[in-house]
Amino acid sequence: MDIKNKILAIAPESVVENEELLTISVSAKDFRAVVEWIKSKEGGSFDYLQDLIGVDNGESLGVIYRLFSTQTNTALVLKTATIDRENPEIMTVSDLWESANLYEREVYDFFGIKFINHPDMRRLFLRHDWVGYPLRKDYDMSSNPLSMKNQTPEMMETTETLTLDSEGNVKGSQFQIFGEKEYVVNIGPQHPATHGVLHLRVSLDGETVKKIDPNFGYIHRGIEKMSESYTYPQILHLADRLDYLSGTMNRHAVCLCVEKALGLEVPQRAQYIRTIFDELTRIASHLLGWGCMCMDMGSITAFIYGMRDREKIMDIFEENGGGRLMCNYSVIGGLSKDVTPSFVSKVKEFIPYMRKMLKEYHILFTGNPIARGRMKDIGFLSKEDAISYGVTGPSGRASGWMNDVRVLEPYAAYDKVKFDVVMREEGGTYERYIVRLDEIEQSLRIIEQLIDNLPDDGFITKPKAIIKLPEGEWFQRVENARGDFGVYISSKGDKSPYRIKFRSPCMTLVSALNPTVCGEKIADLIMIGASLDYVIPCIDR
Amino acid sequence: MKSFCNYIKSIVLGIWNLLLGMKITMLNFLRPKITEQYPENRGKQVMFERFRGSLTMVHNDKNEHGCTACGICQMNCPNGTIKIVSSMIEDAETGKKKKVLDKYLYDIGTCIFCDMCVSSCPQQAIAWSTEFEHAVFNRSKLVKQLNNEGSTLKVKEKSAPKTEVA
Amino acid sequence: MFDFSVVTTWIDELLRVTLGLNNFWTLFIEFILIGVVLLAVYAIIALILIYVERKICAFFQCRIGPNRVGKWGLIQPIADMIKILLKEIITLKNNDKFLFYLAPFFVIVGSILTFAALPFGLGLHAVDFNVGIVYILAVSSLGIIGILLAGWSSNNKYTLIGAMRSGSQLVSYELSAALSLMTIVVMAGSMQISTIVEEQSDMWFIFKGNIPAIVAFVIYMIAGHAETNRGPFDLPEAESELTAGYHTEYSGISFGLFYVAEYLNLFITSAIAATVFLGGWMPLHIPGLDGFNAVMDYIPSVIWFFGKAAFCVFLQMWVRWTFPRLRIDQLLKFEWKILMPIALVNLLVMAVCVVVF
Repeated sequence: MDIKNKILAIAPESVVENEELLTISVSAKDFRAVVEWIKSKEGGSFDYLQDLIGVDNGESLGVIYRLFSTQTNTALVLKTATIDRENPEIMTVSDLWESANLYEREVYDFFGIKFINHPDMRRLFLRHDWVGYPLRKDYDMSSNPLSMKNQTPEMMETTETLTLDSEGNVKGSQFQIFGEKEYVVNIGPQHPATHGVLHLRVSLDGETVKKIDPNFGYIHRGIEKMSESYTYPQILHLADRLDYLSGTMNRHAVCLCVEKALGLEVPQRAQYIRTIFDELTRIASHLLGWGCMCMDMGSITAFIYGMRDREKIMDIFEENGGGRLMCNYSVIGGLSKDVTPSFVSKVKEFIPYMRKMLKEYHILFTGNPIARGRMKDIGFLSKEDAISYGVTGPSGRASGWMNDVRVLEPYAAYDKVKFDVVMREEGGTYERYIVRLDEIEQSLRIIEQLIDNLPDDGFITKPKAIIKLPEGEWFQRVENARGDFGVYISSKGDKSPYRIKFRSPCMTLVSALNPTVCGEKIADLIMIGASLDYVIPCIDR
Repeated sequence: MKSFCNYIKSIVLGIWNLLLGMKITMLNFLRPKITEQYPENRGKQVMFERFRGSLTMVHNDKNEHGCTACGICQMNCPNGTIKIVSSMIEDAETGKKKKVLDKYLYDIGTCIFCDMCVSSCPQQAIAWSTEFEHAVFNRSKLVKQLNNEGSTLKVKEKSAPKTEVA
Repeated sequence: MFDFSVVTTWIDELLRVTLGLNNFWTLFIEFILIGVVLLAVYAIIALILIYVERKICAFFQCRIGPNRVGKWGLIQPIADMIKILLKEIITLKNNDKFLFYLAPFFVIVGSILTFAALPFGLGLHAVDFNVGIVYILAVSSLGIIGILLAGWSSNNKYTLIGAMRSGSQLVSYELSAALSLMTIVVMAGSMQISTIVEEQSDMWFIFKGNIPAIVAFVIYMIAGHAETNRGPFDLPEAESELTAGYHTEYSGISFGLFYVAEYLNLFITSAIAATVFLGGWMPLHIPGLDGFNAVMDYIPSVIWFFGKAAFCVFLQMWVRWTFPRLRIDQLLKFEWKILMPIALVNLLVMAVCVVVF
C-alpha cells in the first residue's frame, strides 16, 4: 500500500493500527503535513471527510478522521491525539474539508480540543456558559446544575479563532459574527418552517440573504453520552430517535455494526425484511420531505396529500413493529418478530397505489409553473462543494456525486436487487426535489423485487443474553433517507460501548446552507432548506 | 417575433399546467375523505395487535400472574420506568426463602415503548395492551401498579400456558 | 322580480310623511340604518366565508374540516368569533402605539367602504356614484396604508418585510385590476355601477364582450386575488417565511379585524367580478328566448348576486388551495411582464371592438 508507506515516510512516528481498513495513528506534530498530503492529488485525493470523531483515550484526547476518496472509493481512518488534557490543541482541517467546520466545533464542545486556525471556535450544541466538556471520561456530572438564565447576547455574538504565530505560540483573537449594521433576522427556534428547533440567524440585505449562522442544540439529548452507560440493545432505541424520519435505517445501522463486531450471521429473511422496511421508511421520509417542501412554498394541500399517503406506510409499520415512527423492528441478530401474514399483501397493495399518487404529485406540483419557477435556477451546489461539505444522500446525488452507500458498500439485501441510483448533474433546488420523487419510484422497484421472494430461514439469530462486544472499534455506514449515516463503536469489552458516535447526515446538510442560499431571497432560504431536507434531532444528538 | 411566440407559448403552457393541477385538487375534492372521526369511532376502531399501548401484567381467571420479581425487566429498561417492590418470604412447605412480588410499578410518563421489558421477560408475565388513551389529570396517576390487588404467583407445576406474545 | 326600492321608499316615506321629519333628520336616520345594516351583513358574510373557506379547504385536502361545534361544525365561526373577542390584546413594549392600533381600522374601513358600493340586488345599492368604479378602486386601496402601518409600527423584522412586500404587491396589482375593469367600462360606456349592471340586461359582459371580456375577467380575478393577499399571492403573510407577515404582533380583536378584512376582501373582489363581468344581480337573459328569460326573472336578484359571487369565491379558494406561493421577484415580474401588457393590449382590443362593431 503506497498510501501507508508514504504517510509513514512523512510522519515516521505513525503507527498502522489496522491493515484491512487502513487505520493510521499520526502524532499531532506531523498531523497537518499528513492531511495536506492525503487531500492532494498524489496522496489519493481523499476529498470526502465522512466523519470526525473525538475520543477520550484516558491519558490523551484524540480525534479520528474517517476519509474517503470519491474517485476510487477507498477508505482511510486517520487518528491523532494530544496528551495535553489541560489545553489540548490540534491543527484544524476545516480549510481542507468544509464539513470539518461544524465537526470540529462539535469536538471542541464535547472534548474541549481546540483546533488551531479554525475560523469560528465556538461551542456547537451546549450553552456558551457550560462548564467542562461532557464527553470526557472525567467530566463531573454535577458541574452544570439546571440553569434558567438566558444566554447573554455577548456569548452568542462573539467567537474566537486561534492562530499559530511563527514561534509556535498559540494566540486567540475574538471577533463578532455579525457586523454592527447588519440586518439580522432570527429564523427559529420557534418558526413554522425550520423543520424542528433549528435556529438560523440570517443577515439580510433587503430580501437577499448575505450570511447564515446556524445555532444548534435546542433538543440536544446527549444520546452519545447516554449510550456509554447503556447496553447495546438499549442503544438501539436511541438510534431510532436520532433522525425520526429514518429511524428504521438508523437502527439498522447500529444493528449491523454490533452484528459485525459479534460476527453474527443474520438470516436472509431478516435481511430481506429489513431492506423492505428501510425502503418503506425512505418512501415515507421522502413523502414527508416532499410535502414539507411544498408547504414551505405555500402549497399546504400537497403537504396533506403527502401525509395521507405516508399514513399507509405508517400502518404497515404499526402492524408489524408495533410503533409508527419508532418502529423498533430490527434487533441485534434479526427482527424482533416475524412479519404478520398480511404484510406481503399490504405492501403489494401499496406499490400500485403509490405509483398512481406519484403521478398526481407530478401533475399537481412538479408541472406547476409557479413551483418550477421557484425551484429552477436557484440554490446551486456544485459537485466539489457537495463533496467538501459532505452533502450526501439525495441532495448530494442531485449535484452529481454518486454517494449511495447501498451501492458502494452493499448491506442487507441491496446486493441482490437491481435499482438505479437517481442522479442529476446541476445541483439546483429543482434537482434535489426531483431526485427525491424519483427515489420513491426506485424504492418501490426494490420492494417489488424482494416482496415475492422472502426466504424462509427464520427471522432472528439469537445472540447471547448479555451482549458484550470484543475489544476494538467498528464503523458502519448505511444510506438513510438523508444520506450517509455512520455509526462508530469503540469497545473495551464491556456490555456498553466506550465511545459511540453517530455520523449525522443532517449536520452537513445544514452547513451547506451557506454556499447554496447566500445571494438568494429569504423566501428561498426556507425552500432550499426544505430541499436539503434536514431533520434537527439528527443533528442535536 | 420568435421570442414573442415563445412568450405566448409559455403563457398558454403555463395556464394549461395550472389547470391540470386544479384538476387534481378537484379530483380530491370529490374523493371520499380520510379523516378519522375519533371519539365517535371509539368502539369500532381496532388497534393493531402488536401496537404498544401500555404495559400490562397478564392475569388468569384465578387472579394469578407469572411474575417472579426477578427484576430483568427493571434492569433492561433504559429509562427506569419499571420499579419492582418485592419481599422475601419463607415457603411453608419447603422452608426455602422465596422472592415474592409486592408491587409492580410502571410509570407510563417515562416509558419509551421500546419493548425491552416484554421481550426480555423469561416468564412472559408482562405484555402490551393496545390501549392508547393515557391522558390523566395528575402526573402521579401515570404511575400504575400492574399486578392486581391480592394476586398471587401462578403455581409452577402445570406448564405455564403460553401467553400471547403481543 | 322583486324590487327592493319598494322597501327603501317605504322607509323613506315613513320617516318623511308619517313621522314628518325634515330632510336632515330623515337622511341622518337613513344613513345610520344603512350603516348598521351594512355592518351586520359584513359581519355575517365574514362568518359564512370563514366557515366556507375552512370546509372547502378541508375538502380539497381530503379532510372533513370543522365538525365539532354544531351540526357539521356550523357554529364553529361563531365560536371562533367569541374566542377572538375574548382574547387578550397583547401590548408591545417598543412600538408606535397609536399607529399600531390605528392600522387594523384602516384595513377594515377600506374594505367596508368598498363593500358599501356593491349592488346586492335590484334596488339594494347603497353607494352609487357616477364614477363608481373609480370609487371602488380608490377606497379598496386604502387597505394598503393599514398594512404598511401595521408592518412599520410593530417594530418587528418579520412584519416590516411583510409590509414592504405587501406595498409593492398591492400597488402593482392595482394597475391590472383597474385596467381590466376599464375594459368593461369602455364597453358599458359608463362608470356608474348601476348602469353597468343595467347594460347587462340582455347578456352578461363576459359573453357579450367576446375574448377581450374573458381575458379581462381572468386578469381581474388574478389581480383581485393578489390584492386580497391570499395564496398563491400571500407573500405579505407568508407563514413559512415570515411567521405571519405584517400581523405577526397583533392579537385579540385587532388581529380579528385583519382576519375579517381578508375574508371580506375576498368576497368584495368576487362580488366586483360578478357585478362587472357576470351581470351583478341581473339574471341570465338570452336574447330571443323570452320564456327562458321569464323563468330566470323569477329567481330573486339577491340570489343571483350572491350566487355569482359565491362562484367567484369558490374559484379563488380552489386556486388558493392548489398553488404554491410565488416569490417576490416572480410576483412583480408576473405583474409587469405578463399581466399588465396583456391588460393594456386587451383594453386596446376592446376599444377597437367597441368602435368597429
